Amino acid sequence: MKNKIIIPIVAASAVFLTGCGTNAHYVATGGTQNIVNIGQINIQDYIQAANAATSDLLASGALDKVKSPPAVLFISRIVNNTGQQIDTDLLTKKISIALLNSGKAMTTSTDPAAKGMKDETDFMNDQKSQKVPDFTLSGKIIQLNARAGNTTQATYSFQLSLNDTRSGYQVWEGEKEITKQGTQGTIGF
Amino acid sequence: MKTKIAALFALILAVTGCHDTMNSVENAQKEGQRNMVSDSRVVSDTGLNRKVNVVGVNTAMTPGGFLKVQVELLNRTGSLQNFNYHFEWFDQNGMQVGGSSTAVIPDEIAGKEDKFISAVSPTQAAKDFRLKLILGQ
Repeated sequence: MKNKIIIPIVAASAVFLTGCGTNAHYVATGGTQNIVNIGQINIQDYIQAANAATSDLLASGALDKVKSPPAVLFISRIVNNTGQQIDTDLLTKKISIALLNSGKAMTTSTDPAAKGMKDETDFMNDQKSQKVPDFTLSGKIIQLNARAGNTTQATYSFQLSLNDTRSGYQVWEGEKEITKQGTQGTIGF
Repeated sequence: MKTKIAALFALILAVTGCHDTMNSVENAQKEGQRNMVSDSRVVSDTGLNRKVNVVGVNTAMTPGGFLKVQVELLNRTGSLQNFNYHFEWFDQNGMQVGGSSTAVIPDEIAGKEDKFISAVSPTQAAKDFRLKLILGQ
């Protein structure tokens, strides 16, 4: 009698414990199978925003207007005006990789070791002049929420500016807006 | 009774269904000349092809030497259609370039609307392209 109760419990536990792992699977990053949340910026949103900014920037020809190509770019501050904690490298790194691969721009290194070695080389060679980056890239990410009845909506605006370090002017600006909508019962802020 | 329900249903459809189509106007004498390219198509989703159809493809070079592609789409249906798309790029040897940086872009097209989607190649090495269209939810 005891066995009749224990065996199904053990079997159910085994199914429960092992069964949890069978749902895990790989999906293509940025693909149609990715999870979409209204209340947060998903990876496909970062990829879309970075792609749009890079395409727009490359098509504008703004990076071609430097004396000695490729242009040197300093990734400046990206202000986070959303209600969530985000790592802006998810946006800026994609842009800097794409620009580097395009051959149109290089970004200044943020590695302290590389900077230290460069300073030492400059000192040994008695070089005092350092090349100032041609441009800085700055921006802002804004979240705008709206609700009508059971429907909730969030718009994420990715705004980027390319600033000329010599003139101080903004020589290119790009904006990509991504709007997501869903019903309140399924997804909430 | 059945006739009344059917009439009411038809009325609801007529009132709500007509909002998804689009009217448009444009200049008849075009100043710009589009560089249309002959395309090769593989259609596996005939349902999507019946709804959102590729009308034409034209290309141009940006001032920086990047290939820009513009694709004209037509929604043959009378209702709003959601679709996803992404571009793939290939160099002169047919090797894919910038593969990891491409994302599937969700978009929508109103009923009977004619719409353009475009993309710029990630590198100057890109000489050819492929557009993938996927039906949205």
